[in-house]
Amino acid sequence: MPDMTFAPVARSPIQPQDQLEVVGGWEVSRRRSSAPLLLQDLTPLAKVLVRARPDGQLAAALKVPSGRAERDVNGTLVVGSGPGEWTMLAATGKAHDVIGRVHAIADDALVSAIDITHGRALLRLTGADAPHLLSKLCPIDLDDTVTPDRAAFRSSVAKLTTDVVRDDRATSRSYLLHCERSSGLYLYQTLLEAGKEFGVEPDAFLDFDE
Amino acid sequence: MNDLRLPPRAGEVLERSSPVTFTWDGRSYTGLTGDTIVSALLANGVQVFSRSFKYSRPRGVLTASFLDPGCTVQVGDEPNVRAGHRQLTPGIDVRPQNVWPSLRFDPRVANQAVGRFLTAGFYYKTFMRPQRLWPAYQHVLAQFASGGRTSPSAEHGDYDKRYAHAEVVVAGAGPAGMAAALAAARAGVRVMLVEEEHALGGHLRWGGATELERLAELRAAVRGEPGIEVLVNSVVTGRYDDNWLAILQRGLPHVVERLIKARAATLVVAAGLIERPYVFSGNDLPGVMLATAARRLINLYAVRPGTRAVVLTANTEGDLAAADLLGAGVDLVRVVDARRGEGITRATGRGRLRAVELFDGSRVDADLLVTSTGWTAPTSLLNMAGVAPVWDDTSARFRPPEDLPDTVFATGGIVGDGSLDELLAHGKAVGTAAAARARGGRPAPVTALPARPHPALFRSPTHGFVDFSEDVTSKDIFAAAQEGYDSSELVKRFTTATMGPSQGKLETVNTVAVLAEATGRDVGQLGTTVWRPPYAPISLGALAGVSFEATRRSSIHAWHQAHGAVPLVAGQWIRPDSYGDAVAEARNVRCNVGIIDVTPLGKLDLRGPDVPKLLNLVYVNKWSKLAVGSVRYGVMCAEDGVVFDDGVTGRLEQDRYLMSTTSSGAAAVWEWLENWLQTEHPEWQVHVTPVTTAYTSINVAGPRSRELLSRLVDGVNLEPDAFPYMHVRTGRIAGVDECLLWRIGFTGELSYEIHVPASYGLHVWESLLEVGDDLGVAAFGVEAQRILRLEKGHLIVGQDTDGLTKAASAGLEWLIKLDKDDFVGKAELTWASELPARAPQLVALLPTDPNIVPAEASQIVREAERIGGRITSSRRSPELGRAICLGQVDPDLATSGTVVTVQLPDGRRVEATVMTELAFVDPPGERLRA
Amino acid sequence: MLILDCPHCGPRNSSEFRHAGTSRERPDATSVTAEKWRDYLYTQQNAAGWVRENWYHAMGCRRYIAIERDTVTNRTRPSDARGATPRGTDATVGTSADSNQETAT
Repeated sequence: MPDMTFAPVARSPIQPQDQLEVVGGWEVSRRRSSAPLLLQDLTPLAKVLVRARPDGQLAAALKVPSGRAERDVNGTLVVGSGPGEWTMLAATGKAHDVIGRVHAIADDALVSAIDITHGRALLRLTGADAPHLLSKLCPIDLDDTVTPDRAAFRSSVAKLTTDVVRDDRATSRSYLLHCERSSGLYLYQTLLEAGKEFGVEPDAFLDFDE
Repeated sequence: MNDLRLPPRAGEVLERSSPVTFTWDGRSYTGLTGDTIVSALLANGVQVFSRSFKYSRPRGVLTASFLDPGCTVQVGDEPNVRAGHRQLTPGIDVRPQNVWPSLRFDPRVANQAVGRFLTAGFYYKTFMRPQRLWPAYQHVLAQFASGGRTSPSAEHGDYDKRYAHAEVVVAGAGPAGMAAALAAARAGVRVMLVEEEHALGGHLRWGGATELERLAELRAAVRGEPGIEVLVNSVVTGRYDDNWLAILQRGLPHVVERLIKARAATLVVAAGLIERPYVFSGNDLPGVMLATAARRLINLYAVRPGTRAVVLTANTEGDLAAADLLGAGVDLVRVVDARRGEGITRATGRGRLRAVELFDGSRVDADLLVTSTGWTAPTSLLNMAGVAPVWDDTSARFRPPEDLPDTVFATGGIVGDGSLDELLAHGKAVGTAAAARARGGRPAPVTALPARPHPALFRSPTHGFVDFSEDVTSKDIFAAAQEGYDSSELVKRFTTATMGPSQGKLETVNTVAVLAEATGRDVGQLGTTVWRPPYAPISLGALAGVSFEATRRSSIHAWHQAHGAVPLVAGQWIRPDSYGDAVAEARNVRCNVGIIDVTPLGKLDLRGPDVPKLLNLVYVNKWSKLAVGSVRYGVMCAEDGVVFDDGVTGRLEQDRYLMSTTSSGAAAVWEWLENWLQTEHPEWQVHVTPVTTAYTSINVAGPRSRELLSRLVDGVNLEPDAFPYMHVRTGRIAGVDECLLWRIGFTGELSYEIHVPASYGLHVWESLLEVGDDLGVAAFGVEAQRILRLEKGHLIVGQDTDGLTKAASAGLEWLIKLDKDDFVGKAELTWASELPARAPQLVALLPTDPNIVPAEASQIVREAERIGGRITSSRRSPELGRAICLGQVDPDLATSGTVVTVQLPDGRRVEATVMTELAFVDPPGERLRA
Repeated sequence: MLILDCPHCGPRNSSEFRHAGTSRERPDATSVTAEKWRDYLYTQQNAAGWVRENWYHAMGCRRYIAIERDTVTNRTRPSDARGATPRGTDATVGTSADSNQETAT
């Protein structure tokens, strides 16, 4: 048995720069910005990948088709990220709760729910120019008629396979972007660089229920 | 203000109160805001802007537009600027190009005297033989190359790219294009209206009061339509499959140029018409220009293009030019009306126009000759959509056929002629139809716009320039025809006509017409050359733009950097090759304990009751009986039996497995598994989830690895009996839950591969180093690992195997279970096993001279200088203190004890002995099983 | 660039996909003759006209889909078996590199 006590700190692939704080075991930056276009690193949020038959009981219970995102009664954002595939985003540390709830829904076919919190980087881009910034990197039509609020898609962002969810805030356009963790820093830096003309700035981490 | 600048004109684009100072050829000039470089210089009395490509003839204005072949200049560090299009900005330094030693004097004018050497095909004939002189020829020809200069120290500007989506893209914003855009937007679709010039309006801009009034109405209507995105100074340069459009946007504040990749449901081509030059002796003299050029200069830029003018007209545009010249106070000495059979024979003058000779033999002194002899429809975008234009004898121009692809429309002058009202009506009808089509409708065909009769005028009785950019004359085309180049495409390549910067927009029809004349055929029979992208030149900066290349980093990347890691770029991954001394790192693993970041190893989470079936299918060995807590090595082959990946897979729970793959094979293996699951066995219940970077993977290797780990691991008994070789456990490491530990050994030492949730990767890495200080723990890089695995004789797929290596020839025969039901590669492996081995075999080789390490890829040579194999891996072994290798050798050389000859890259030959086993260090595997 | 109408994601640029070969039946590897097997592995029909092809939507839904494409005009349409499982994808191993096929030149 180890004779040392460890206090592991979880870290995002995007190293926070200043006003550091540990939130839910994660090192994050609490530096706020008032820029018109904001980029937040939300990697600490719990992320669960769920797979089941697209026509099974779980799918029926979730009621979120591929290409859409909805918040469930617990505040979890359920993203229909593919045929028979859902990505669930919840508050930091809640992955096991989400997995438990998924498995509580009966389905006679195979259901898998995998905690991918550590396997993905998650960013939020908020501001009126968010679609203009994304249109420099992403070939998907972001017009309201094609990609309205709560639309979800997976495509190329700066040549990186990225999941995009339009999740507007009360007053402004907002997109969640998540990609494979090892490319998280690349995506973050690319968004900051491409967003210079719109005055993009990093903004503090905020947990789902904050 | 000098007298070349006219009093204010109704349609002028100038800001009279805003002068702009700039330099031309080293001298200071003043123009007005709104001027192009050309209009400002003309207003200052400058008439020569360049020297021609081959004969170095002085050239002035021909079209006064982007296309003007004689008006390409250098602006600061930017070469090849179209001075007929580029607007003045304060302080720009404009210089002529291709003028050595100066614009006024150029010794190459002598080329004219030796013109017969420079006729069509001159280069091909003169500079072919002997081949040894090609470098010298290259040097000579480089002197002739036109174009500006770029400085290596020039600051490169920012370029930009973006994607755009529109239901209807209208290329060209003349009256028909504007009407089409308006109609489409009013039908409720998103429209993008793209105009190459600096303002909307097309030919209305240089028209009279009526045209300007209608233009103002149209512009107001476009402004008032929020569904129209207007891009001026922009051009659709290419149309690709499914209306994927490349649009070049110029003149933006933040960037030099932007490339827009637009997807349009329908494309409306409204590119208008381009006026065609007339071929006659002296047609390139400064002072000879097109009617549209004269009208643009007078009406847009208030510049008087000459003092004594002759106008050759065959159409309304020529008549209007004559009227404009009169209105501008030019002495109009003769109007030659081609419609009445009148014509000009030649223009004369030295360095600029002095006189014009007419058909009637008279000679008229003039400093301006304006021609208006016909039109060319710029059908490029239609060509790119697979449409071949058809020659129309009546209007003497190529026109698009009426039957266009579903998603492509055309309107305006490119289609036919008409009054302004007719053009607007056609544009409106086409815009409405394009919008309906974009929404999936099947609109009725739009009534065609007829073309008016026009005399077929191409060449006077004298020879002149057909291609001004390339200095190709009608005489060259006759010569080419005589040599047998009798098709448009052949003549183009032989003479280089239409291959210059204006890419045939001015030249193609005259080239074809002169060829038709020379060969006694019709223009329609010959047909035009094919127009390909780009329609307008694009800078390399815009094409390259911002280039995106995703990179991948492990959670420990920052630590590696801080500790002097030499970076190794492996695909998208950036990995530590070593921390300075790979040999010392390898030694430390053999003596103490080392840790290496192996995060890029592919990791796939496999779940479901049918995982064993999947494993049995994709691996060559058997998987049905793998117990929970065990791991097994497996090799995957493609259907042709060739090895494509290897790795270990462990059973974590009853229905949960973790498969590891090579770092470079991670993506391919995932797609491979999905392929089999989705297409051949959709009934199998298996979920495959890539978790490569969900875990930070660390290999802890060396005799002291167990002791090191025991200080950090909680909940796993590490004792050899409890956790033997080739097993997997789950536990807590350094306070981090849900870590996986595999007992496997690529290095040949006792080792554990630990997979920790990636967010804690750095924490665990640092903890290992912290608690293992007294054990001599040290990080090692990829190079040390390569040394260690070679000592152990572990192959690397793709290095020790290649695209032809079947599993059996890679020393993996023991693994293949041909008695299994179907598995991928089984058929080929079965047939291969039934025949005597013919393929090279992987063997270990011990060089006789311990101090010579044969470079990887050194050939193994055998009798009669035949190749008998090659070295696939080689290193100096720190453990053995000598060179060791793996190599592929012919089967008859693969017997243990065979001495083979290795040819080194420098030609020396050394000997090496084939070993019994692949492993040099610890062949029985006692260390890794310790 | 071609648009491929993915039955799961809708119309997308072809650069999001990896071409996975013309649809073919994989022979039963346990009973096939060597000649037939190698014909399956190496012989391509390369037909002019409408062919049924498989594509892997690597940057989208990660599903193998079937599309019909006219190899003469490069026009595409949904496969007859739209939504059905594509069979006999290309037997060679491939990776969907995030390659830059989008440059419009």
